[in-house]
Amino acid sequence: MISSTVLIHPTTWFLGGAVLLPFLEKKDKLRKAVLIGIPLIAFTLIHWLPDSFGHVHYLGFDLVFGRVDRLTRVFLHVFTIMAFIGCIYGLHVKETGQHIAAFLYVGGSLGVTLCGDYLTLYIFWEMMAFSSVFLIWYRKKRQSIEAGFRYILVHTTGGLVLLAGIFLRYQNIHDLSFVQIATNGATFADYLIMIGFMLNAAVPPIHAWLPDAYPEASVTGAVFMCAFTTKTAVYVLARGFPGFEALAILGAIMTVYGVGYAVVENDARRILAYHIVSQVGYMVCGIGIGTAMAVNGAVAHAYAHIIYKGLLFMGAGAVLEMTGTSKLNELGGLYKRMPWAMVFTVIGGISISGFPLTSGFISKSMVIAAAGASHHPVLMLLMDLAAVGTFLSVGIKLPYFIWFGEDSGVEAKDAPWNMNLGMAIAAFLCFFLGIFPNYLYKMLPYPVYWHPYNAYHLSETLQLLGFTGLGFFIMVKKLKPEPKINLDLDWFYRKGARVFIRFASRRVVPTNDWANDVYRNIGMRATMALAKAFSWFDWEGIDWTIDGSARGVVEGGNRLRSLMTGKIQHYIGAAVALTFIILILVVLL
Amino acid sequence: MVRLLNYLNEHSVMLKRIFFLFLILTVVFDLYVKRHEIHFFGDAIIGFWSLFGIVGCLGMIIVCKGLSHVWLMKKEDYYDK
Repeated sequence: MISSTVLIHPTTWFLGGAVLLPFLEKKDKLRKAVLIGIPLIAFTLIHWLPDSFGHVHYLGFDLVFGRVDRLTRVFLHVFTIMAFIGCIYGLHVKETGQHIAAFLYVGGSLGVTLCGDYLTLYIFWEMMAFSSVFLIWYRKKRQSIEAGFRYILVHTTGGLVLLAGIFLRYQNIHDLSFVQIATNGATFADYLIMIGFMLNAAVPPIHAWLPDAYPEASVTGAVFMCAFTTKTAVYVLARGFPGFEALAILGAIMTVYGVGYAVVENDARRILAYHIVSQVGYMVCGIGIGTAMAVNGAVAHAYAHIIYKGLLFMGAGAVLEMTGTSKLNELGGLYKRMPWAMVFTVIGGISISGFPLTSGFISKSMVIAAAGASHHPVLMLLMDLAAVGTFLSVGIKLPYFIWFGEDSGVEAKDAPWNMNLGMAIAAFLCFFLGIFPNYLYKMLPYPVYWHPYNAYHLSETLQLLGFTGLGFFIMVKKLKPEPKINLDLDWFYRKGARVFIRFASRRVVPTNDWANDVYRNIGMRATMALAKAFSWFDWEGIDWTIDGSARGVVEGGNRLRSLMTGKIQHYIGAAVALTFIILILVVLL
Repeated sequence: MVRLLNYLNEHSVMLKRIFFLFLILTVVFDLYVKRHEIHFFGDAIIGFWSLFGIVGCLGMIIVCKGLSHVWLMKKEDYYDK
């Protein structure tokens, strides 16, 4: 009975695949079969999942590995589709490690989506963070290694906040089940959990990890990362916190904030990363508004966004793979050399901008209309403004400076077939959802009464997009990409860490050394004196009772000394461990 | 496909005219659109979204580029120093 429950959980298959892959390094065909087969199996499985499964009673906690309702299903649907597309796109990658990291990451994300209690959620949550960091490190550049460390530190911090919230919540109500939290009964613990979720959703001011890390990830890694971390966070927010006004306001600000940076950035993948912040803003805002239509809109937008953002990252990744750069100032005129990548990326660009007949049109409009219908005109206008900026920066600026504009003379040819196939599937889905919105609408958590193709909405969209295009061509000279970076809020910890290190090297390390010296001079002498005393005692004839004690004490002293290594990561690790212990004590008391 | 794009590139004047015609058509279309739900004043004004689009676009470019040049923009090795 248990075995069938384990096998029906899609995460099991991804974990199994991750275990299997190292043995298939030499068997290319089998490896590719696993890479394509497992997402397909998962995609099939999710249609057969029972409403509830995988209840485990462990250490006095009720762990729920499978809780399935309409909200779960729609996210599982798009996650497994995206895993499939991503695996096709990354089929040519030889490094097994990247595939393993991607599989663990997807498995973690599906685990979070399916779990019914906070402890299980936390385990899969951390699994996502720790596997995705390898997708950054596999780029193998110095910037990627550093960005990866920052990424994992930020996510560990967010994870600890989440864990603190979970523990406090358990202390308050002795229940760990992951259910919707009422807006009027939310306690400090619930807000801690919300902050933990918001960090993964990249809500400002805790968003800077995303545009810092994603552009440094490997080509295929970024395709996976752009889909799962933020959208899993959107799922848990939709599950736990619909109707929280703070989310509505922060979400609307987020849409404009991300777009603003996208207008001025130079690196194509950093522009796209800022657009994740912006697009996730629509979802967070929809969840914050909390009406049936707004939550539907948020979920629909998450679905559509995963596909077209994956497509955009695949397009920019193809350019990076073939030319070695994704900086707009070094690119231009590529349409003659990479026409297919251009076609697909432009399809992604018009989808994210919300052109009629594409997936963005049928999902984004739902959130904006829901804001209007629930009498939030300011939120609505902010999101419309973000839509203008989206078309400006991803719809026109990005393709213009990569494929048109001045010819840079960069050598390139079209990407391998599997990359193009991945992009083609995603591009097809963008149009498919745009033309047959009911396919998506009938999967949404609530019944849908919204018809995107009404005359006024079409008129609104065409005017907005048309005149944004006009604005671009008026200002095209001003928009010329510059090889610079723009400061964001990660300045505080990137420069702040410098200050900390300087403080550590000037104050903490000398103190540490001084303590070491004191120990060496006093502690060691005391130990040695003790040892001498013991050896004298030993000499006197009772060596069989305390044999080896002297050496033991000397070794103990050495061990204590080696604890104080002066390495910053050891201190951070110790601090994290200490926090854990304190939290556990809090719960126990 | 490359040939098609080359062709379009050579006939950019034609493209421009089509684009302007499209802009005019969208505003004309707005004259005849029925407005079912009016959520705020802008929904009642003909061509409001055209104005919003162009003003929003130009405003965003000016504000963002301005902020970037005055304050936020740094050299690429800024964090390495």
